[in-house]
Amino acid sequence: MAGVKLQNVTKKYGNKLAVDNLSFEYREGEFFSIIGPAGAGKTTILKMIAGIESVTSGKIFFDDYEVNALSARERNVAMAFETYNLYSHLSVYENISFPLRAPERHEKLSKDEEKRRVEEVADFLGIKRLLGRKPVQLSGGEKQRVSLARAMVRRCECFLLDEPIAHLDARLKFSTQTALKRLSVKLGTAIIYVTHDYREALGLSDRIAVLRKGKFEQIGTPREIYNQPATDFVANFIGDPPCNLIDGTLATRNGNTLFQSGNEFSIPLQNKSIAAAQKIKAADQDGEIRLGIRPSRIKVSKERTTEHSFKLPIYAIVRRPEGAIITFELDKCFFRASVKGPEQYGMSEKVWLDFDQEHSFFFKKTVKISK
Amino acid sequence: MSRVDINNVWKIYEGDVEAVQDLNFFIEDGEFLAVLGPSGCGKSTTLRMIAGLEDITRGEILFDGKVVNNFSPSERNLALAFESYALYARLNVHENIAFPMRAKGMSRAEADKKVMWIADILNVTDILKKKPGSLSGGHKQRVNLCRALVRQPNITLLDEPISHMDVRVRANMRARIRRLHDELKLTTIYVTHDQEEAVSLADRVAVMNHAKLQQIGTVDEIWNHPANKFVATFVGEPEMNFIAGRIENKRKVSVNTKNGKSIFPFDGQVDERSVGSEITVGVRPQQVRLSMTGNGNDGIPGVVDLTQFQGESVIVTVILDDQEKTEVKAVIDTDWLPEPGEKVLLEMAPETIHLFDGEMPILK
Repeated sequence: MAGVKLQNVTKKYGNKLAVDNLSFEYREGEFFSIIGPAGAGKTTILKMIAGIESVTSGKIFFDDYEVNALSARERNVAMAFETYNLYSHLSVYENISFPLRAPERHEKLSKDEEKRRVEEVADFLGIKRLLGRKPVQLSGGEKQRVSLARAMVRRCECFLLDEPIAHLDARLKFSTQTALKRLSVKLGTAIIYVTHDYREALGLSDRIAVLRKGKFEQIGTPREIYNQPATDFVANFIGDPPCNLIDGTLATRNGNTLFQSGNEFSIPLQNKSIAAAQKIKAADQDGEIRLGIRPSRIKVSKERTTEHSFKLPIYAIVRRPEGAIITFELDKCFFRASVKGPEQYGMSEKVWLDFDQEHSFFFKKTVKISK
Repeated sequence: MSRVDINNVWKIYEGDVEAVQDLNFFIEDGEFLAVLGPSGCGKSTTLRMIAGLEDITRGEILFDGKVVNNFSPSERNLALAFESYALYARLNVHENIAFPMRAKGMSRAEADKKVMWIADILNVTDILKKKPGSLSGGHKQRVNLCRALVRQPNITLLDEPISHMDVRVRANMRARIRRLHDELKLTTIYVTHDQEEAVSLADRVAVMNHAKLQQIGTVDEIWNHPANKFVATFVGEPEMNFIAGRIENKRKVSVNTKNGKSIFPFDGQVDERSVGSEITVGVRPQQVRLSMTGNGNDGIPGVVDLTQFQGESVIVTVILDDQEKTEVKAVIDTDWLPEPGEKVLLEMAPETIHLFDGEMPILK
């Protein structure tokens, strides 16, 4: 059982900085995910922990033991990748049990113990009925689960899983996630999980680190990441429909402080929001700040509901089984509100909007928003 | 005017492979219809037959009452955008969009005007000078859409047109496509394997599986009254839960549990002959109600297995205390997060209960 710790770890490929002075400490027994877009450095971090890549500077610890000098084999970690390299001449059972027989492993299992171990992990991942087959007889999703089972059959210091279920279709993904979460609870071994899918990360993890260009934007529990995003990047990366990001300036009218975006959009700010907005404004040069609000926090109605309500025409409506997502158009961006219930709206209809300022954020602009 | 009728249409490939079997449905003028199904269900073949890219083995396709079986694609005046984008590599984006219009003899000035118009609507104005080779997959798809829609065709056929796009761009594109459809009063047929995509865009959805139409209806009809278990399972995420039950009387169903029986009244009724038979109860995760103690009603006891936070909601997996130890998922609000191991009661409101005998629904 290991805790994994990274201390000021940097990785450069030539002059290219892939991982930039990262530190984090894995807490015993937690499911820790690293999420970020392609090229953020997620896989590089896993490879450095596994010992497949060296670190350019910084230290990696297992418990309190520095492992920088240890080879991948000596570190005793198990990895599963998005690509599954199964042995085509071996059966699924033999593929999964293979790591248990490798001579350098210290686990000397009897035939019965081996069988029990393989069947247990296969059962968890829903592939027990496939144990007698050869890889060619499997679908892509099945292969991926076999590859995952092969990694997780071992007893090791830590599991490093790199997009292990990326190729599964939505439904299989869901059931495999469920299995993975169960397995992690049962084994209690450290799991560091890399994905670009925020739903997977939110659903599986105890903590999530959001990675952008080799640096962490935020580390926190799924609820913290979702409800208190530290940056516009985090807000934008997590959620579907994504968090609305609206750029504007602060203006004063009749003694009220307003957030204004273009000519058609301005909302009077409540005191708490003013303080938050001014803090961001002070830190920024061009005076523009970015308002973030999730679609569920914008209320749409046919009638005016509060003094802060304002009116906009509907750009387009897309359905959800129980409700709809309504898009509004501003000069430089779209924003969306999700509505529940039976009330029907039409394109171009002008409706009243209310922004829940208790659940709004103000950010510095660090990501490009496309319209 | 552009109504499409598909009458008893079959597509049989060599070797008696039936790709489409006896298809019957219509698309009304101005309608947005999604054709939804898993890969290999025949949905793209159907679209290609409507487009004229694929011969019809048997049956008729009519545009505005006129049989078009023998019309070439160009005679049908359609717009087509497919997932695999065939853009001309040597032409830039502007020229790619203008090409079909110029080829039909439109003046350069008029074609340019139209290019600018559609480029603005689909937000590709800033890449007009680029060559396809330097574009991302999402951009290529947008250019492809531009080229399809710029001619304001009778019927617009879209095959997975935005599947390659990033989540954030896709949300915008859905809004743009729906807006375009409404504004230009297009008649749109949209093929996809993504149930969420179909539900979000379409007025009606045609669900296909194994070369056959399973159901066609509005989103509400498909959601509330699925024609069979396949449709019930395919539409909705996470998928519908199924629990073994028994019909108590014409208006009540029961589920056996360790402590006895949980009884649930349902809306509508079943045939007298079904009373006493073993059936399957279906309930959507979004409509399952979980509580600690129940409201004194007849809940099914169960134990929370695990929870998955999803931002706006939490997916709770519960193992029921029925005979099969059925695994059920519930989507609940985020203000209550039950712990694994916690005991809960599962309840179902009468209007949320689906009943199946084998594959077929039995509720009337």
